[in-house]
Amino acid sequence: MTAAGGAAMIVLDRVDKRFGDHYAVRDLSFAVAKGEIVAIVGRTGAGKSTALHMIMGVMPPSAGTVRVEGLDPYADFKALKGKLSVSFQTDRLLPWRTAWENVALGLQIMGRDAPTRRAEAIRWLENVKITGAENVAKYPHQLSGGMRQRVSLARALAVDPELVLLDESFSQLDHVTSKALRSDFTELVRRVKKTCVLITHRIDDALEMADRVIVLAAPARLALEVRVRPEDRADPAWLRDRHRRIAEAMGGEEAPAEEVADGLRH
Amino acid sequence: MARSGTDRSGEGAPRVRTPGEAERRGGFRRDLIANLWVIAALIAGMQFWSMVAPPYIMPPPATSLETTGTVLQEDWRHILYTITRLVVSVGFALVVGSLIGALMAMIRPIQPYLMSIVVIDTGIPALSWMLFSVFWFKDPETRVFFILAMILIPFYALNVYDGIRALSRDLVEMVETFRPTRIEVFRHLILPHVVPYILMTTKSIIGYATRMTAFAELVSVNTGMGARMGLAQNNLAMDGVIAWTILLVFLNLAVQGLVSLAEKSLLRWRPEVEVR
Ligand SMILES: Nc1ncnc2c1ncn2[C@@H]1O[C@H](COP(=O)(O)OP(=O)(O)OP(=O)(O)O)[C@@H](O)[C@H]1O
Ligand SMILES: [Mg+2]
Repeated sequence: MTAAGGAAMIVLDRVDKRFGDHYAVRDLSFAVAKGEIVAIVGRTGAGKSTALHMIMGVMPPSAGTVRVEGLDPYADFKALKGKLSVSFQTDRLLPWRTAWENVALGLQIMGRDAPTRRAEAIRWLENVKITGAENVAKYPHQLSGGMRQRVSLARALAVDPELVLLDESFSQLDHVTSKALRSDFTELVRRVKKTCVLITHRIDDALEMADRVIVLAAPARLALEVRVRPEDRADPAWLRDRHRRIAEAMGGEEAPAEEVADGLRH
Repeated sequence: MARSGTDRSGEGAPRVRTPGEAERRGGFRRDLIANLWVIAALIAGMQFWSMVAPPYIMPPPATSLETTGTVLQEDWRHILYTITRLVVSVGFALVVGSLIGALMAMIRPIQPYLMSIVVIDTGIPALSWMLFSVFWFKDPETRVFFILAMILIPFYALNVYDGIRALSRDLVEMVETFRPTRIEVFRHLILPHVVPYILMTTKSIIGYATRMTAFAELVSVNTGMGARMGLAQNNLAMDGVIAWTILLVFLNLAVQGLVSLAEKSLLRWRPEVEVR
Protein backbone atom coordinates (compact mmCIF):
# COMPACT_ATOMS: atom_id res chain seq x y z
CA MET A 1 0.00 0.00 0.00
CA THR A 2 1.43 3.36 -0.99
CA ALA A 3 0.05 6.25 0.99
CA ALA A 4 2.70 8.62 -0.25
CA GLY A 5 3.81 10.70 2.72
CA GLY A 6 1.44 11.96 5.42
CA ALA A 7 -1.80 10.41 6.65
CA ALA A 8 -4.09 8.47 4.33
CA MET A 9 -7.36 10.07 3.30
CA ILE A 10 -8.70 6.96 1.57
CA VAL A 11 -7.75 3.36 2.15
CA LEU A 12 -9.20 0.45 0.19
CA ASP A 13 -8.11 -2.92 1.51
CA ARG A 14 -8.80 -6.06 -0.55
CA VAL A 15 -12.17 -4.77 -1.67
CA ASP A 16 -14.58 -6.90 -3.70
CA LYS A 17 -17.87 -5.76 -5.14
CA ARG A 18 -20.16 -8.36 -6.63
CA PHE A 19 -23.42 -7.82 -8.49
CA GLY A 20 -24.91 -11.29 -8.43
CA ASP A 21 -22.16 -13.56 -9.75
CA HIS A 22 -20.41 -10.74 -11.53
CA TYR A 23 -17.39 -9.09 -9.95
CA ALA A 24 -17.33 -5.39 -10.73
CA VAL A 25 -14.38 -4.85 -8.36
CA ARG A 26 -12.02 -7.65 -7.29
CA ASP A 27 -9.34 -7.60 -4.63
CA LEU A 28 -8.69 -3.89 -5.00
CA SER A 29 -6.28 -2.20 -2.60
CA PHE A 30 -4.91 1.30 -2.77
CA ALA A 31 -4.52 4.36 -0.61
CA VAL A 32 -4.72 8.07 -1.28
CA ALA A 33 -2.78 10.50 0.89
CA LYS A 34 -4.14 13.83 2.10
CA GLY A 35 -3.63 16.55 -0.46
CA GLU A 36 -2.93 14.11 -3.26
CA ILE A 37 -4.58 14.20 -6.67
CA VAL A 38 -5.09 10.67 -7.93
CA ALA A 39 -6.47 9.71 -11.30
CA ILE A 40 -8.13 6.35 -11.84
CA VAL A 41 -8.11 5.16 -15.42
CA GLY A 42 -9.56 2.04 -16.94
CA ARG A 43 -11.66 0.96 -19.86
CA THR A 44 -15.40 1.13 -19.81
CA GLY A 45 -16.90 -1.41 -17.40
CA ALA A 46 -13.61 -1.77 -15.51
CA GLY A 47 -15.39 -0.89 -12.27
CA LYS A 48 -14.15 2.68 -11.79
CA SER A 49 -17.54 4.14 -10.90
CA THR A 50 -18.28 1.20 -8.64
CA ALA A 51 -15.06 1.85 -6.71
CA LEU A 52 -16.01 5.51 -6.43
CA HIS A 53 -19.53 4.67 -5.24
CA MET A 54 -18.02 2.67 -2.39
CA ILE A 55 -15.77 5.61 -1.45
CA MET A 56 -18.83 7.90 -1.54
CA GLY A 57 -20.56 5.48 0.79
CA VAL A 58 -23.66 4.97 -1.35
CA MET A 59 -22.95 1.22 -1.56
CA PRO A 60 -21.09 -1.19 0.73
CA PRO A 61 -18.29 -3.48 -0.49
CA SER A 62 -19.07 -7.22 -0.72
CA ALA A 63 -15.76 -7.97 0.98
CA GLY A 64 -12.80 -6.00 2.29
CA THR A 65 -12.81 -2.56 3.88
CA VAL A 66 -13.15 0.99 2.65
CA ARG A 67 -12.04 3.85 4.87
CA VAL A 68 -12.31 7.60 4.36
CA GLU A 69 -10.59 9.62 7.09
CA GLY A 70 -10.61 6.40 9.09
CA LEU A 71 -14.39 6.08 8.86
CA ASP A 72 -16.50 3.54 7.01
CA PRO A 73 -18.27 5.78 4.46
CA TYR A 74 -21.27 3.44 4.17
CA ALA A 75 -21.82 2.53 7.83
CA ASP A 76 -20.85 5.97 9.16
CA PHE A 77 -22.70 7.71 6.36
CA LYS A 78 -23.68 10.82 8.35
CA ALA A 79 -20.29 11.18 10.00
CA LEU A 80 -18.75 12.22 6.70
CA LYS A 81 -21.22 15.05 6.17
CA GLY A 82 -19.38 18.00 4.66
CA LYS A 83 -16.14 16.05 4.35
CA LEU A 84 -16.52 14.77 0.81
CA SER A 85 -18.32 15.86 -2.29
CA VAL A 86 -18.76 14.61 -5.81
CA SER A 87 -19.02 15.94 -9.33
CA PHE A 88 -20.33 13.62 -12.02
CA GLN A 89 -20.10 13.09 -15.74
CA THR A 90 -23.28 15.08 -16.25
CA ASP A 91 -23.87 18.27 -14.31
CA ARG A 92 -26.86 16.96 -12.29
CA LEU A 93 -28.00 20.49 -11.53
CA LEU A 94 -31.45 20.99 -10.04
CA PRO A 95 -33.38 22.63 -12.89
CA TRP A 96 -35.53 24.75 -10.56
CA ARG A 97 -32.52 26.39 -8.92
CA THR A 98 -30.41 29.16 -10.40
CA ALA A 99 -26.65 28.71 -10.76
CA TRP A 100 -25.86 30.17 -7.35
CA GLU A 101 -28.74 28.35 -5.67
CA ASN A 102 -27.40 25.08 -7.05
CA VAL A 103 -23.96 25.85 -5.66
CA ALA A 104 -25.59 26.68 -2.32
CA LEU A 105 -27.33 23.28 -2.04
CA GLY A 106 -24.59 21.59 -0.03
CA LEU A 107 -24.20 24.62 2.22
CA GLN A 108 -27.93 24.60 2.84
CA ILE A 109 -27.80 20.94 3.88
CA MET A 110 -24.84 21.85 6.11
CA GLY A 111 -27.14 24.33 7.83
CA ARG A 112 -25.41 27.59 6.84
CA ASP A 113 -27.55 30.72 7.03
CA ALA A 114 -28.91 32.33 3.88
CA PRO A 115 -26.51 35.31 3.53
CA THR A 116 -23.47 33.06 4.03
CA ARG A 117 -24.78 30.58 1.48
CA ARG A 118 -25.23 33.25 -1.11
CA ALA A 119 -21.87 34.88 -0.53
CA GLU A 120 -20.04 31.54 -0.55
CA ALA A 121 -21.87 30.32 -3.65
CA ILE A 122 -21.01 33.47 -5.56
CA ARG A 123 -17.39 33.28 -4.44
CA TRP A 124 -17.08 29.69 -5.67
CA LEU A 125 -18.74 30.55 -8.95
CA GLU A 126 -16.09 33.25 -9.35
CA ASN A 127 -13.45 30.61 -8.70
CA VAL A 128 -14.73 28.59 -11.64
CA LYS A 129 -14.97 31.78 -13.71
CA ILE A 130 -18.70 32.37 -13.67
CA THR A 131 -19.15 35.99 -12.76
CA GLY A 132 -21.68 38.77 -13.03
CA ALA A 133 -25.04 39.13 -11.32
CA GLU A 134 -26.80 38.08 -14.49
CA ASN A 135 -24.90 34.81 -14.96
CA VAL A 136 -25.09 33.61 -11.38
CA ALA A 137 -28.86 34.08 -11.46
CA LYS A 138 -29.40 32.00 -14.60
CA TYR A 139 -31.27 28.73 -14.55
CA PRO A 140 -29.40 25.62 -15.76
CA HIS A 141 -31.22 25.56 -19.11
CA GLN A 142 -29.95 29.07 -19.79
CA LEU A 143 -26.31 28.03 -19.37
CA SER A 144 -24.04 26.28 -21.85
CA GLY A 145 -22.83 22.74 -21.16
CA GLY A 146 -19.40 23.98 -20.12
CA MET A 147 -20.87 26.54 -17.75
CA ARG A 148 -23.18 23.96 -16.23
CA GLN A 149 -20.23 21.68 -15.56
CA ARG A 150 -18.42 24.60 -13.93
CA VAL A 151 -21.43 25.20 -11.69
CA SER A 152 -21.41 21.54 -10.72
CA LEU A 153 -17.71 21.73 -9.81
CA ALA A 154 -18.39 24.86 -7.76
CA ARG A 155 -21.19 23.01 -5.97
CA ALA A 156 -18.79 20.21 -5.06
CA LEU A 157 -16.11 22.60 -3.80
CA ALA A 158 -18.40 25.05 -2.00
CA VAL A 159 -18.95 22.80 1.03
CA ASP A 160 -15.19 23.04 1.54
CA PRO A 161 -14.75 19.26 1.63
CA GLU A 162 -11.55 17.45 2.50
CA LEU A 163 -12.08 15.12 -0.43
CA VAL A 164 -13.39 15.84 -3.91
CA LEU A 165 -14.43 12.94 -6.15
CA LEU A 166 -14.87 13.42 -9.89
CA ASP A 167 -16.42 10.79 -12.13
CA GLU A 168 -15.65 11.71 -15.75
CA SER A 169 -16.54 15.32 -15.02
CA PHE A 170 -14.77 16.65 -18.10
CA SER A 171 -15.51 13.98 -20.65
CA GLN A 172 -18.71 15.39 -22.11
CA LEU A 173 -17.18 18.72 -22.95
CA ASP A 174 -15.49 19.69 -26.19
CA HIS A 175 -11.70 19.62 -26.22
CA VAL A 176 -11.05 23.32 -25.68
CA THR A 177 -13.61 23.75 -22.90
CA SER A 178 -12.49 20.55 -21.22
CA LYS A 179 -8.83 21.58 -21.28
CA ALA A 180 -9.53 25.03 -19.85
CA LEU A 181 -11.75 23.61 -17.13
CA ARG A 182 -9.26 20.86 -16.26
CA SER A 183 -6.39 23.23 -15.74
CA ASP A 184 -8.57 25.70 -13.81
CA PHE A 185 -9.74 22.84 -11.64
CA THR A 186 -6.33 21.32 -10.84
CA GLU A 187 -4.92 24.76 -10.14
CA LEU A 188 -7.81 25.42 -7.75
CA VAL A 189 -7.59 22.06 -5.99
CA ARG A 190 -3.83 22.47 -5.47
CA ARG A 191 -4.32 25.99 -4.17
CA VAL A 192 -6.95 25.01 -1.59
CA LYS A 193 -5.00 21.81 -0.75
CA LYS A 194 -7.82 19.32 -1.21
CA THR A 195 -7.53 15.63 -1.79
CA CYS A 196 -8.98 14.62 -5.12
CA VAL A 197 -9.80 11.33 -6.81
CA LEU A 198 -10.80 11.69 -10.41
CA ILE A 199 -11.96 9.06 -12.82
CA THR A 200 -11.21 9.38 -16.48
CA HIS A 201 -10.76 7.08 -19.40
CA ARG A 202 -8.39 9.50 -21.17
CA ILE A 203 -4.80 8.68 -20.34
CA ASP A 204 -3.58 12.15 -21.39
CA ASP A 205 -5.97 13.86 -18.99
CA ALA A 206 -4.84 11.61 -16.17
CA LEU A 207 -1.13 12.30 -16.76
CA GLU A 208 -1.83 16.01 -17.08
CA MET A 209 -3.82 16.42 -13.87
CA ALA A 210 -2.75 13.84 -11.33
CA ASP A 211 0.16 13.26 -8.96
CA ARG A 212 -0.45 9.56 -9.36
CA VAL A 213 -2.33 7.45 -11.91
CA ILE A 214 -3.95 4.19 -10.88
CA VAL A 215 -4.79 1.86 -13.72
CA LEU A 216 -7.63 -0.61 -13.29
CA ALA A 217 -8.20 -3.65 -15.47
CA ALA A 218 -11.60 -5.33 -15.40
CA PRO A 219 -12.86 -6.43 -12.93
CA ALA A 220 -11.33 -3.49 -11.10
CA ARG A 221 -8.05 -4.64 -9.76
CA LEU A 222 -4.89 -2.64 -9.72
CA ALA A 223 -2.97 -3.22 -12.94
CA LEU A 224 -0.42 -0.41 -12.75
CA GLU A 225 0.47 2.65 -10.75
CA VAL A 226 2.33 5.62 -12.21
CA ARG A 227 3.70 8.49 -10.16
CA VAL A 228 3.85 11.83 -11.99
CA ARG A 229 6.28 14.54 -10.93
CA PRO A 230 5.69 18.10 -12.21
CA GLU A 231 8.86 17.96 -14.32
CA ASP A 232 7.67 14.71 -15.98
CA ARG A 233 4.79 16.56 -17.58
CA ALA A 234 7.26 18.62 -19.60
CA ASP A 235 9.06 15.56 -20.90
CA PRO A 236 7.43 14.26 -24.12
CA ALA A 237 9.44 11.04 -24.18
CA TRP A 238 8.46 10.19 -20.60
CA LEU A 239 4.81 10.97 -21.36
CA ARG A 240 4.82 8.81 -24.50
CA ASP A 241 6.34 5.93 -22.64
CA ARG A 242 3.90 6.08 -19.70
CA HIS A 243 1.00 6.56 -22.06
CA ARG A 244 1.94 3.33 -23.86
CA ARG A 245 2.41 1.40 -20.63
CA ILE A 246 -0.91 2.61 -19.20
CA ALA A 247 -2.71 1.70 -22.41
CA GLU A 248 -1.22 -1.78 -22.24
CA ALA A 249 -2.19 -2.22 -18.60
CA MET A 250 -5.72 -1.04 -19.29
CA GLY A 251 -6.59 -3.29 -22.14
CA GLY A 252 -3.98 -5.87 -23.11
CA GLU A 253 -2.97 -6.09 -26.75
CA GLU A 254 -5.55 -3.99 -28.64
CA ALA A 255 -5.48 -0.21 -28.25
CA PRO A 256 -8.38 1.06 -26.13
CA ALA A 257 -11.15 2.48 -28.25
CA GLU A 258 -11.21 5.91 -26.67
CA GLU A 259 -7.49 6.41 -27.37
CA VAL A 260 -8.09 5.82 -31.04
CA ALA A 261 -10.96 8.27 -30.97
CA ASP A 262 -8.76 10.76 -29.17
CA GLY A 263 -6.07 10.37 -31.76
CA LEU A 264 -8.51 11.13 -34.53
CA ARG A 265 -9.80 14.19 -32.80
CA HIS A 266 -6.41 15.89 -32.41
CA MET B 1 -51.45 28.25 -22.97
CA ALA B 2 -49.42 31.18 -24.12
CA ARG B 3 -45.91 30.00 -23.34
CA SER B 4 -44.20 31.94 -26.00
CA GLY B 5 -40.88 32.09 -27.76
CA THR B 6 -38.37 29.29 -27.89
CA ASP B 7 -35.07 30.41 -26.55
CA ARG B 8 -32.55 28.74 -28.81
CA SER B 9 -29.69 31.03 -27.86
CA GLY B 10 -29.95 29.75 -24.29
CA GLU B 11 -29.43 33.29 -23.11
CA GLY B 12 -32.80 33.91 -21.49
CA ALA B 13 -33.36 37.59 -20.82
CA PRO B 14 -34.02 39.95 -23.74
CA ARG B 15 -36.11 38.06 -26.21
CA VAL B 16 -36.55 38.72 -29.86
CA ARG B 17 -39.94 37.78 -31.09
CA THR B 18 -39.58 34.76 -33.30
CA PRO B 19 -41.74 34.21 -36.38
CA GLY B 20 -43.42 31.34 -34.53
CA GLU B 21 -44.43 33.67 -31.76
CA ALA B 22 -45.82 36.26 -34.15
CA GLU B 23 -47.80 33.51 -35.79
CA ARG B 24 -49.19 32.44 -32.46
CA ARG B 25 -50.23 36.01 -31.65
CA GLY B 26 -51.98 36.13 -34.99
CA GLY B 27 -53.50 32.79 -34.01
CA PHE B 28 -54.83 34.35 -30.82
CA ARG B 29 -56.61 37.08 -32.78
CA ARG B 30 -58.00 34.50 -35.17
CA ASP B 31 -59.30 32.41 -32.24
CA LEU B 32 -60.91 35.48 -30.70
CA ILE B 33 -62.68 36.32 -33.94
CA ALA B 34 -63.89 32.72 -34.27
CA ASN B 35 -65.15 32.79 -30.67
CA LEU B 36 -67.05 36.03 -31.27
CA TRP B 37 -68.68 34.59 -34.38
CA VAL B 38 -69.77 31.46 -32.53
CA ILE B 39 -71.20 33.51 -29.65
CA ALA B 40 -73.03 35.78 -32.10
CA ALA B 41 -74.45 32.74 -33.88
CA LEU B 42 -75.59 31.24 -30.56
CA ILE B 43 -77.35 34.46 -29.58
CA ALA B 44 -78.98 34.71 -33.01
CA GLY B 45 -80.13 31.08 -32.71
CA MET B 46 -81.57 31.72 -29.25
CA GLN B 47 -83.28 34.84 -30.49
CA PHE B 48 -84.89 32.96 -33.37
CA TRP B 49 -85.88 30.05 -31.13
CA SER B 50 -87.39 32.38 -28.51
CA MET B 51 -89.69 33.82 -31.17
CA VAL B 52 -91.27 30.42 -31.88
CA ALA B 53 -91.07 28.80 -28.40
CA PRO B 54 -92.68 29.70 -25.04
CA PRO B 55 -90.37 31.49 -22.52
CA TYR B 56 -90.04 28.41 -20.28
CA ILE B 57 -88.40 26.65 -23.24
CA MET B 58 -86.31 29.54 -24.56
CA PRO B 59 -86.56 33.13 -23.34
CA PRO B 60 -85.20 35.90 -25.57
CA PRO B 61 -81.42 36.41 -25.05
CA ALA B 62 -82.05 39.98 -23.88
CA THR B 63 -84.18 38.68 -21.01
CA SER B 64 -81.52 36.12 -20.00
CA LEU B 65 -78.88 38.83 -20.06
CA GLU B 66 -81.05 41.08 -17.93
CA THR B 67 -81.57 38.24 -15.46
CA THR B 68 -77.82 37.69 -15.37
CA GLY B 69 -77.43 41.33 -14.31
CA THR B 70 -80.12 40.99 -11.64
CA VAL B 71 -78.60 37.76 -10.32
CA LEU B 72 -75.17 39.40 -10.12
CA GLN B 73 -76.66 42.23 -8.06
CA GLU B 74 -78.94 40.22 -5.80
CA ASP B 75 -77.46 36.73 -5.60
CA TRP B 76 -73.71 37.44 -5.67
CA ARG B 77 -73.36 35.81 -2.28
CA HIS B 78 -74.13 32.46 -3.90
CA ILE B 79 -71.25 32.93 -6.30
CA LEU B 80 -68.96 33.49 -3.31
CA TYR B 81 -70.28 30.31 -1.65
CA THR B 82 -69.47 28.31 -4.74
CA ILE B 83 -66.00 29.81 -5.10
CA THR B 84 -65.22 29.18 -1.44
CA ARG B 85 -66.35 25.57 -1.63
CA LEU B 86 -64.35 25.06 -4.81
CA VAL B 87 -61.16 26.57 -3.38
CA VAL B 88 -61.41 24.76 -0.04
CA SER B 89 -62.10 21.35 -1.55
CA VAL B 90 -59.53 21.63 -4.33
CA GLY B 91 -56.97 22.83 -1.79
CA PHE B 92 -57.78 19.93 0.52
CA ALA B 93 -57.66 17.36 -2.30
CA LEU B 94 -54.37 18.85 -3.48
CA VAL B 95 -52.71 18.49 -0.09
CA VAL B 96 -54.16 15.11 0.87
CA GLY B 97 -53.94 13.61 -2.63
CA SER B 98 -50.31 14.72 -3.02
CA LEU B 99 -49.45 13.28 0.39
CA ILE B 100 -51.03 9.97 -0.53
CA GLY B 101 -49.09 9.99 -3.81
CA ALA B 102 -45.86 10.77 -1.95
CA LEU B 103 -46.48 7.99 0.57
CA MET B 104 -47.17 5.55 -2.23
CA ALA B 105 -43.91 6.43 -3.95
CA MET B 106 -41.74 6.63 -0.86
CA ILE B 107 -42.91 3.77 1.37
CA ARG B 108 -42.68 0.51 -0.54
CA PRO B 109 -44.75 -1.80 1.73
CA ILE B 110 -47.88 0.36 1.73
CA GLN B 111 -47.73 1.18 -1.98
CA PRO B 112 -49.97 -1.69 -3.26
CA TYR B 113 -52.65 -1.03 -0.62
CA LEU B 114 -52.85 2.71 -1.19
CA MET B 115 -52.72 2.16 -4.95
CA SER B 116 -55.61 -0.26 -4.74
CA ILE B 117 -57.70 2.20 -2.70
CA VAL B 118 -56.97 4.99 -5.16
CA VAL B 119 -57.77 2.86 -8.20
CA ILE B 120 -61.08 1.69 -6.69
CA ASP B 121 -61.89 5.31 -5.87
CA THR B 122 -61.30 6.39 -9.48
CA GLY B 123 -63.76 3.70 -10.54
CA ILE B 124 -66.60 4.99 -8.33
CA PRO B 125 -68.82 7.39 -10.30
CA ALA B 126 -69.23 10.95 -9.02
CA LEU B 127 -72.95 10.27 -8.84
CA SER B 128 -72.41 7.51 -6.24
CA TRP B 129 -70.41 9.86 -4.03
CA MET B 130 -73.21 12.42 -4.29
CA LEU B 131 -75.80 9.92 -3.17
CA PHE B 132 -73.56 8.46 -0.44
CA SER B 133 -72.89 11.89 0.98
CA VAL B 134 -76.59 12.70 1.18
CA PHE B 135 -77.14 9.50 3.17
CA TRP B 136 -74.07 9.84 5.37
CA PHE B 137 -73.91 13.51 6.27
CA LYS B 138 -76.46 15.91 7.65
CA ASP B 139 -74.38 19.05 7.39
CA PRO B 140 -74.72 20.42 3.84
CA GLU B 141 -71.19 21.87 3.73
CA THR B 142 -69.72 18.51 4.71
CA ARG B 143 -71.68 16.89 1.92
CA VAL B 144 -70.28 19.15 -0.83
CA PHE B 145 -66.79 18.98 0.64
CA PHE B 146 -66.88 15.19 0.88
CA ILE B 147 -68.11 14.73 -2.68
CA LEU B 148 -65.43 16.95 -4.17
CA ALA B 149 -62.64 15.53 -2.03
CA MET B 150 -63.48 11.95 -2.97
CA ILE B 151 -63.66 12.82 -6.66
CA LEU B 152 -60.46 14.89 -6.78
CA ILE B 153 -58.02 13.16 -4.41
CA PRO B 154 -57.14 10.26 -6.76
CA PHE B 155 -56.07 12.63 -9.55
CA TYR B 156 -53.49 14.24 -7.28
CA ALA B 157 -52.42 10.95 -5.72
CA LEU B 158 -51.79 9.24 -9.07
CA ASN B 159 -50.02 12.16 -10.71
CA VAL B 160 -47.77 12.89 -7.74
CA TYR B 161 -46.97 9.19 -7.50
CA ASP B 162 -45.97 9.08 -11.16
CA GLY B 163 -44.05 12.32 -10.74
CA ILE B 164 -41.93 11.03 -7.88
CA ARG B 165 -41.25 7.81 -9.74
CA ALA B 166 -40.03 9.86 -12.70
CA LEU B 167 -37.47 11.55 -10.46
CA SER B 168 -34.02 10.89 -11.87
CA ARG B 169 -31.82 8.44 -9.89
CA ASP B 170 -28.89 10.68 -10.75
CA LEU B 171 -30.36 13.67 -8.92
CA VAL B 172 -31.22 11.56 -5.89
CA GLU B 173 -27.66 10.24 -5.78
CA MET B 174 -26.25 13.75 -6.20
CA VAL B 175 -28.29 15.12 -3.30
CA GLU B 176 -27.43 12.10 -1.14
CA THR B 177 -23.69 12.73 -1.47
CA PHE B 178 -24.27 15.77 0.77
CA ARG B 179 -25.65 13.44 3.41
CA PRO B 180 -29.02 15.12 3.98
CA THR B 181 -31.81 13.98 6.30
CA ARG B 182 -34.96 12.47 4.78
CA ILE B 183 -36.77 15.73 5.42
CA GLU B 184 -34.09 17.67 3.55
CA VAL B 185 -34.33 15.30 0.59
CA PHE B 186 -38.07 15.89 0.59
CA ARG B 187 -37.73 19.67 0.86
CA HIS B 188 -34.90 20.27 -1.59
CA LEU B 189 -35.58 17.56 -4.14
CA ILE B 190 -38.96 15.85 -4.04
CA LEU B 191 -41.19 18.81 -3.29
CA PRO B 192 -39.85 21.16 -6.00
CA HIS B 193 -39.82 18.23 -8.40
CA VAL B 194 -43.54 17.49 -7.92
CA VAL B 195 -44.74 21.11 -8.14
CA PRO B 196 -45.15 20.88 -11.94
CA TYR B 197 -47.13 17.65 -11.54
CA ILE B 198 -49.42 19.25 -8.96
CA LEU B 199 -49.96 22.28 -11.19
CA MET B 200 -50.63 20.13 -14.23
CA THR B 201 -53.19 18.14 -12.25
CA THR B 202 -54.87 21.29 -10.99
CA LYS B 203 -54.99 22.66 -14.50
CA SER B 204 -56.61 19.57 -15.88
CA ILE B 205 -59.18 19.10 -13.11
CA ILE B 206 -60.16 22.67 -12.27
CA GLY B 207 -62.85 22.93 -14.96
CA TYR B 208 -64.27 19.56 -13.99
CA ALA B 209 -64.12 20.55 -10.31
CA THR B 210 -66.05 23.75 -10.98
CA ARG B 211 -68.83 21.85 -12.74
CA MET B 212 -68.85 19.19 -10.02
CA THR B 213 -69.15 21.86 -7.32
CA ALA B 214 -72.29 23.20 -8.98
CA PHE B 215 -73.60 19.65 -9.38
CA ALA B 216 -72.89 18.78 -5.74
CA GLU B 217 -74.68 21.96 -4.65
CA LEU B 218 -77.68 21.00 -6.76
CA VAL B 219 -78.08 17.66 -5.00
CA SER B 220 -77.05 18.47 -1.45
CA VAL B 221 -77.42 22.11 -0.37
CA ASN B 222 -79.64 25.12 -0.94
CA THR B 223 -76.97 27.77 -1.37
CA GLY B 224 -74.45 28.32 -4.15
CA MET B 225 -74.70 28.57 -7.90
CA GLY B 226 -75.76 24.95 -8.45
CA ALA B 227 -78.55 25.21 -5.88
CA ARG B 228 -79.80 28.50 -7.33
CA MET B 229 -79.80 26.98 -10.76
CA GLY B 230 -81.93 24.12 -9.43
CA LEU B 231 -84.31 26.61 -7.85
CA ALA B 232 -84.69 28.48 -11.15
CA GLN B 233 -85.44 25.19 -12.88
CA ASN B 234 -88.12 24.35 -10.28
CA ASN B 235 -89.73 27.72 -10.93
CA LEU B 236 -89.63 27.05 -14.68
CA ALA B 237 -87.46 30.19 -14.92
CA MET B 238 -85.44 29.30 -17.96
CA ASP B 239 -83.90 32.78 -18.05
CA GLY B 240 -82.51 32.11 -14.55
CA VAL B 241 -81.04 28.77 -15.63
CA ILE B 242 -79.36 30.44 -18.58
CA ALA B 243 -78.10 33.32 -16.40
CA TRP B 244 -76.44 30.92 -13.94
CA THR B 245 -75.03 28.93 -16.83
CA ILE B 246 -73.42 32.07 -18.26
CA LEU B 247 -71.96 32.89 -14.83
CA LEU B 248 -70.62 29.35 -14.43
CA VAL B 249 -68.92 29.58 -17.82
CA PHE B 250 -67.24 32.82 -16.73
CA LEU B 251 -66.25 31.37 -13.35
CA ASN B 252 -64.73 28.41 -15.16
CA LEU B 253 -62.69 30.65 -17.46
CA ALA B 254 -61.58 32.79 -14.52
CA VAL B 255 -60.28 29.86 -12.43
CA GLN B 256 -58.52 28.36 -15.47
CA GLY B 257 -56.84 31.72 -16.03
CA LEU B 258 -55.76 31.91 -12.40
CA VAL B 259 -54.23 28.44 -12.50
CA SER B 260 -52.36 29.36 -15.68
CA LEU B 261 -51.00 32.47 -13.96
CA ALA B 262 -49.88 30.42 -10.98
CA GLU B 263 -48.20 27.98 -13.35
CA LYS B 264 -46.36 30.78 -15.13
CA SER B 265 -44.95 32.24 -11.96
CA LEU B 266 -44.11 28.93 -10.26
CA LEU B 267 -42.51 27.33 -13.31
CA ARG B 268 -40.34 30.29 -14.37
CA TRP B 269 -37.35 27.95 -14.26
CA ARG B 270 -38.65 25.74 -17.01
CA PRO B 271 -37.19 25.94 -20.49
CA GLU B 272 -39.82 26.87 -23.01
CA VAL B 273 -40.12 23.93 -25.29
CA GLU B 274 -41.62 24.01 -28.71
CA VAL B 275 -42.36 20.76 -30.47
CA ARG B 276 -42.77 20.88 -34.20
N1 LIG C 1 -25.82 -1.42 -9.81
C1 LIG C 1 -25.27 -2.37 -10.59
N2 LIG C 1 -25.90 -3.56 -10.76
C2 LIG C 1 -25.35 -4.52 -11.52
N3 LIG C 1 -24.19 -4.39 -12.18
C3 LIG C 1 -23.52 -3.24 -12.06
C4 LIG C 1 -24.02 -2.17 -11.27
N4 LIG C 1 -23.16 -1.14 -11.35
C5 LIG C 1 -22.16 -1.56 -12.15
N5 LIG C 1 -22.37 -2.81 -12.59
C6 LIG C 1 -21.46 -3.59 -13.44
O1 LIG C 1 -20.18 -3.52 -12.90
C7 LIG C 1 -19.21 -3.34 -13.90
C8 LIG C 1 -18.40 -2.09 -13.65
O2 LIG C 1 -19.23 -0.95 -13.80
P1 LIG C 1 -18.74 0.52 -13.55
O3 LIG C 1 -19.90 1.42 -13.76
O4 LIG C 1 -18.05 0.59 -12.26
O5 LIG C 1 -17.69 0.69 -14.74
P2 LIG C 1 -16.84 1.97 -15.13
O6 LIG C 1 -15.42 1.58 -15.05
O7 LIG C 1 -17.28 3.14 -14.36
O8 LIG C 1 -17.23 2.12 -16.67
P3 LIG C 1 -17.48 3.49 -17.52
O9 LIG C 1 -16.14 3.97 -17.94
O10 LIG C 1 -18.28 3.01 -18.67
O11 LIG C 1 -18.22 4.45 -16.65
C9 LIG C 1 -19.96 -3.32 -15.21
O12 LIG C 1 -19.87 -4.60 -15.79
C10 LIG C 1 -21.36 -3.01 -14.83
O13 LIG C 1 -22.27 -3.63 -15.72
MG1 LIG D 1 -18.32 4.99 -14.80
